Amino acid sequence: MADSRRVASMVVFLVAAAITASQAGDKNAPPTQKIPKGAKVFVAPIAEGFDSYLKDAITKKKVPVEVTTSRDQADYEMTGAAETQKASTAKKVIMGNWHSREEASITFSNIKSGEVVWAYSVHEEASTHGKRSSAESCAKHLKDAIEGQQ
Amino acid sequence: MFRKQPPKSLVLAALTLGIAWYPLVAKSQENNATQNQSQPDNTTKPTSDPVKGSAPDLNQASSDEGKLATVNNAKIPSYARVYIAPMVGGFENYVIAGLRNKKVPLTVVMDRTKADYEISGVSESEKAGWAKMLFIGAQNSNEEASIKIADVKTGAVIFGYSVHKTNSARGKQSAGEACAKHIKQIVIE
Repeated sequence: MADSRRVASMVVFLVAAAITASQAGDKNAPPTQKIPKGAKVFVAPIAEGFDSYLKDAITKKKVPVEVTTSRDQADYEMTGAAETQKASTAKKVIMGNWHSREEASITFSNIKSGEVVWAYSVHEEASTHGKRSSAESCAKHLKDAIEGQQ
Repeated sequence: MFRKQPPKSLVLAALTLGIAWYPLVAKSQENNATQNQSQPDNTTKPTSDPVKGSAPDLNQASSDEGKLATVNNAKIPSYARVYIAPMVGGFENYVIAGLRNKKVPLTVVMDRTKADYEISGVSESEKAGWAKMLFIGAQNSNEEASIKIADVKTGAVIFGYSVHKTNSARGKQSAGEACAKHIKQIVIE
């Protein structure tokens, strides 16, 4: 009687282990993260003060996120890189173009999981309003990404 | 001589263990098989010297943008977790954006400890000088970048790619997307 109970409990344990092991194999699943409206976002410092332009652009383009000043209060973090090249004399004289060249790239990641949920790059060879243009371009596409997935 | 029959409990335990381990063995065999899939197009296999021993099989391929190399026909499983190390000029952000634009099925993480693979590399931009503007009439920059993908656990490099664009229409964005496009070739979809 005791032996049969022991055997039964062993079988139950092994079957449970088998089910757990087979389910544990599927760890590479597509990311299902979406950016919810009203998410709290921390904009990390970006080179050349681009983060300030980004915050202004988020407000101007009415992106449905809440920008926080502290990373601890935020659910998402925005990081990136930006570069400006002012028009050289050669560009002004030879090409007749006095606008600056702007490049920027931003990533939007979930602070808890560490996964990047959205990213965007912009390049403007002759930017009319400099960093403001590239920041507004990033904000506009972020808004499209949030509203497009709802 | 009579042979002793094994107790019923042992037989039952052995059967249950077999049921438990079979799916794991099957999956590991499947993973090994997918790592040895067919090579990319336009590859040239270098002749291996049997005297030197078993060197890793390095396949190289040239494209109009740059050169890529895969080691031992390695493939990355789809939605594997990838960490992109910081690069000069913030190029890692352009690579991340490129992976999204080219719809590469990988999960980018910001923490190296959570990643299965690591992408690292270098990049350089050179803006057009007056001579290029005057004689060629182009103001686009020269872009160069080189990346490699390594397995975080083993440290083995499985993929490498270099890109050079002499007249890049979109600067680092173009170079980042070129890297992403070629990374997609080794991701199993």
